[in-house]
Amino acid sequence: MVMIFPIDALLTSQRELGLIMAVLIGFGFGFVLERAGFGRAKKLAAQFYLYDMTVFKVMFTAIVTAMLGVIVLSGFGIADLKAISDYATSTTLLWPMLVGGLLLGAGFIIAGYCPGTSIVASASGNLDGVVAFAGVVLGTVLYSEGLDAFTSLSTFHNSSNFGHVYLYDLLGVPAPLLALAVTLMAAGCFMGAEKVEQLFRAKLHGSSDGIVDTRSNPVLSGARRLAFGSFAGLAALGLGSLLMTQTPVSAAAAGSVTATEVARKVLEQPWDLRIIDLRALEACTRVRIPGSECVPMEKLGELDLQNAPGTQLLVLVGESDLTEVPPAARDYPGRIKLLSGGFSNWKSFALSAPIFPGNGASEAEIEEFRFRSTLHATLTGMKQAPPPPPAPSSGGGFKKKSGGGGCSG
Amino acid sequence: MEDAEPGNRSASERLFPHLGVMGMKDSEKFWHPYVAGVALGLVLLSSLVLMSKGLGASGAAHRLGVAALNSVASSHVDASAAMSGFKADGASPLDDWLIFEVLGALLGGWVAAYSAGRLKLGIQKGPNVSTKKRLVLALTGGIIMGIAARLARGCTSGQALTGGAMLSAGSWLFMFSVFAGGYALAKLTRRQWL
Repeated sequence: MVMIFPIDALLTSQRELGLIMAVLIGFGFGFVLERAGFGRAKKLAAQFYLYDMTVFKVMFTAIVTAMLGVIVLSGFGIADLKAISDYATSTTLLWPMLVGGLLLGAGFIIAGYCPGTSIVASASGNLDGVVAFAGVVLGTVLYSEGLDAFTSLSTFHNSSNFGHVYLYDLLGVPAPLLALAVTLMAAGCFMGAEKVEQLFRAKLHGSSDGIVDTRSNPVLSGARRLAFGSFAGLAALGLGSLLMTQTPVSAAAAGSVTATEVARKVLEQPWDLRIIDLRALEACTRVRIPGSECVPMEKLGELDLQNAPGTQLLVLVGESDLTEVPPAARDYPGRIKLLSGGFSNWKSFALSAPIFPGNGASEAEIEEFRFRSTLHATLTGMKQAPPPPPAPSSGGGFKKKSGGGGCSG
Repeated sequence: MEDAEPGNRSASERLFPHLGVMGMKDSEKFWHPYVAGVALGLVLLSSLVLMSKGLGASGAAHRLGVAALNSVASSHVDASAAMSGFKADGASPLDDWLIFEVLGALLGGWVAAYSAGRLKLGIQKGPNVSTKKRLVLALTGGIIMGIAARLARGCTSGQALTGGAMLSAGSWLFMFSVFAGGYALAKLTRRQWL
């Protein structure tokens, strides 16, 4: 499958465009945080006094949305989960992350902001946000000074590094399944959070005045249904894509190519395709499509197709129709097609003399006849097919066993 | 035409108060948490999918700090193993994706606050705390968070949000630790907020 995302060009060669993207993404980040109310310390701190769980709800909704998005896009082969994960996240350092998290939580409730929200608070005119952000700047530099000064700190800083660890690997379940579990957990937590919120608001205010009751408010419960509903849909899509990747790549998915198309290519642009004949070696060495390689099915793995350049169209030929792309060919980086009807169809198409369609035939039919006559003459004029192209640059590891070579047999 | 139900008339307005309009009626109106969450998730998703990068804040703060220190004590930064990397090969510590992202966040936050009628100089604090004390606490908390974010390789944006969405084990540990740390200290700081 061809991965589209991430766009590598944006990361390296088109750096300026990447920086424009940075400003745009940052704009969205700041805009949404402000609109969520995160430019205000009291709203954020309320999370820790349980009467306003907005921080928790926004954070987890965002995590679930982005998680499901990446999982679904990856499931359909549009994005590369592994590449994005390894590039966008840090490795797991058990103790530094545990201690760092506890400290950050403490700093959060003291300052009233986390580093990101202090930026948004500053942007909306809150001086306490500016001061908190200045504190963050100071803290990061102090930490760097500490790393330089104390070897014990830098030892701890780099301790218990487990590399990239993902929850789905840790639990040994497919990523989409874990994503579904996280989604369900989040939905459950949201409902719990709303209950807790109502309880503590009532406590705080001494009455339930002015409390937004989600159940009785059609608009708010609509928003919840909308969010939960789309999560359910996305999670189902992710699971569906899981099933899709586990079924073998079917003939229909890989696409087939007709004998006519192969014949035209063989005559006109033979460099554009690589034909692999998967029939038994004896049958293939006797007669085959010109330029094709005789590689019996069980030897296909030795070609190392996943590391082939992928610039050519790979055409796979069986005795008759192939039902699926063989596993050894699935990771070929280029396009793969299966010859429809297999070699038996090729034989009746290219190796038997065409019958003249008659004088009343349409132009297309006559054109077809001309082409097939040429093909027939070209192919049967040669007693044997030309030698196969040299094996791909795999260090000459692909050798024919028969003494006389594959073609002169 | 049917009579528009007054309760439903402003449904979209109530989900997205002030979206696109300069409504100045109620500056306390924020987006519904789930709507804001989905929007934030989509911003994060586009960053991940298009750029293979997450959202971040503390990384930019560090670069800003190194740049500031570099302008007054350049040789000190050169001698620092932890900071000299940011100016290797004559590069500026500020020449980085995260810095541009944070500039965008400043702009986005400003536009959002302005268009919602919330842009106004002030200090957010609880009723029982003095301005001076509030600012000292903000600075203290900021410093602690700066240290914490360096130790944890990210803050709530880079580690919890981004790593959380990518299901990184360390990020989830970090996230639970943040909530644990906050709740553990909440009793002590109660007077500041309530």
